[in-house]
Amino acid sequence: MIRSTKTWQAVALTAVAGLALSACGTTDTGGGSSGGGDEGGDCNFKIAAMGALSGPNASIVVPSVDGAQLALDQWDGGDCTVEMERFDTEGDPAKATPVATQIAGDESFIGVIGGAFSGETRATKTIYQDGGIPMISQSATATDLTQEDPVEVFHRLVPYDDYQGAAIAKYLTDEVGATKVFVIDNAEAYGEPLADRVEETLGDAMIQRDKTEVGQTDFAPTISKIESAQPDAIMYGGYIAEAAPLLKQIRDAGIDVPFIGGDGLYGADFGNAVGEAGEGAVVMCPCAPIDESSTFAADFEEAYGGAPGAYAAEGYDAMTVFLKGLEDGARDRAAMQEFVTGYTGDGLSKSIAFDENGDVPQDQVSYWAYKNTGGTLQPEVEVKPAE
Amino acid sequence: MDFDALISGLDRHTLDGITRGSIYALVALGYTMVYGVMKLINFAHSEVFMVGTWTVLGVYTAIGATSGSGLAMVIGATLLALIAAMLASAGTALAVERIAYRPLRKKGAPALIFLITGIGCSMVLVEVFGQVLRVFFGRPFGRVTVNIPAVLETKTVFTIPGVDLAVSNTRILIIVGAIVMMLALDAFVNRSRLGRGVRAVAQDPDTASLMGVNQERVIMLVFVLGGAMAGVAALLYTVQYDITKFDIGFIIGLKAFTAAVLGGIGNLRGALVGGLFLGIVEVYASAVWDSSWTNVYAFVVLVVVLMFRPTGILGESLGKARA
Repeated sequence: MIRSTKTWQAVALTAVAGLALSACGTTDTGGGSSGGGDEGGDCNFKIAAMGALSGPNASIVVPSVDGAQLALDQWDGGDCTVEMERFDTEGDPAKATPVATQIAGDESFIGVIGGAFSGETRATKTIYQDGGIPMISQSATATDLTQEDPVEVFHRLVPYDDYQGAAIAKYLTDEVGATKVFVIDNAEAYGEPLADRVEETLGDAMIQRDKTEVGQTDFAPTISKIESAQPDAIMYGGYIAEAAPLLKQIRDAGIDVPFIGGDGLYGADFGNAVGEAGEGAVVMCPCAPIDESSTFAADFEEAYGGAPGAYAAEGYDAMTVFLKGLEDGARDRAAMQEFVTGYTGDGLSKSIAFDENGDVPQDQVSYWAYKNTGGTLQPEVEVKPAE
Repeated sequence: MDFDALISGLDRHTLDGITRGSIYALVALGYTMVYGVMKLINFAHSEVFMVGTWTVLGVYTAIGATSGSGLAMVIGATLLALIAAMLASAGTALAVERIAYRPLRKKGAPALIFLITGIGCSMVLVEVFGQVLRVFFGRPFGRVTVNIPAVLETKTVFTIPGVDLAVSNTRILIIVGAIVMMLALDAFVNRSRLGRGVRAVAQDPDTASLMGVNQERVIMLVFVLGGAMAGVAALLYTVQYDITKFDIGFIIGLKAFTAAVLGGIGNLRGALVGGLFLGIVEVYASAVWDSSWTNVYAFVVLVVVLMFRPTGILGESLGKARA
């Protein structure tokens, strides 16, 4: 048996070595070996893209960064040489902080696309503020980022979460015609305030509220509450991992009323996880649909081998704003910051402008309801909660 | 607080609780058997369960079973998935024993070391499914929730008259399946020759060796049996919930371990009692409050039970129970 013990140890060792190797493989963000980049003329800059490029949430970040790269590739820079460098944070604030320090300390960076998520943005925006480097986020939606302690350098292309709850409620009452909505949340920082806002906007149109947990897979108690409440629509504030089993169990119990979730369910993974039970489920997202016949969609498909995914147009727009700044003659961070703050122009996702907090102006706030059809999310209707 | 909801739907909540508890109980067997024989908590057991759920997905994919298949396909696919999941889980448990525990046992390592290597094995398995396999094979591996086709579609088989409680085919399969496997295992350990060896090693390993019981083989047997039960649990879980994920074992494993302690760790019947009790308590708590209170309530009950019965509800260990 000693021989076989040795064999097992060898197998274990190989497995560990394999793990180590693959770990190295995935942490390399492929930024290239560009160094400082001051060798050319006086227009030689880098733009950083910071977000979850690997891990469970990568599917809602990578397309936006690819979109930004596409904008850069299509740009005719003239005298300027601009390069985009990708920084993987896995969406983790703790991993984002050193990344931000590195970017802010390197003067060749003139702008930041990101953070993609609210948590990492919250953790890093003061670092960027101290470095004076302008940020344009394609997808960070937490309300407090601009409403509670705004920083000058932060701008975003998506409206904040308070609008989203209102948009969901508006969709439920106006499009579905619901009068008895059952609201469920996942009892954490994203889902709970979102459901609170839905509840607030719905008023009497909500009949019951229930809370679940992150990591939960058995929703039998919630199902029996839904059965006795007999709602005409169900809203869930939370993420894909719990929404998939919840929706499956709702449909298994024979409850066929419309199901709607927030942008926590937006992404290709939702359709994959929920399977046939997810047919017709609605996801509300501040991301505008991309016309499949547009040149952007065709160019994106050619460059990355797939249709543009989550926030791809917003990523493209964020890069475009920075590139327009360089065209306009901005040659340092202060000039770029000034240019971005005052920027107005048409983008792929929306008509771009920033208010005094760096937010999308109220009259531009728009959401889209996407319907899960055959495993993919298809745009259904535009919802303007601010009207 | 809504006690009316609990009272008015007591039958329904009890059925939900038994369904949830049956799966806890089957996973708990793995913890309790290993503990009974080796006085060791095998923290990699949650991943033994996880491997089982992926095996079910693999079998369904390989033979092309989807929801809406014919009756022969449904029965065939489910049985094949059951056998495959049992084999895969038992194999994983055995591999964990060979890699993480046996070399240490031969060198007489202190008990604490086994806990660490067990946790290490657990993490390696989680990362294999969450990261390594994704790099080599892509989807469906990775850190996302994966859909498993509902080959056995949920249908109401009968309604209990009087209380008007609908009982579905999946629930019958889960509850009956879990209880049959439990009884079979209990009979095996208490009646068979190999089972007598298991009890002997649990009682006194040194004396058992002197009497000609091969301790290493008993330990292997215990891991294989516990793994096979986790495989059964994995199939029943996928029948009910139709999903898997790289870290699906974590919460189930934690709850099953709790169930084992609650029932009396090292005691096979304790695992059944503890699992069902925990499942029912959780569902009742969720009905009265909501699901975000489940764990608070469940662990308060655990602490209270252990205050009065420090060895769990049924107490005793594998060896002492009906030796």
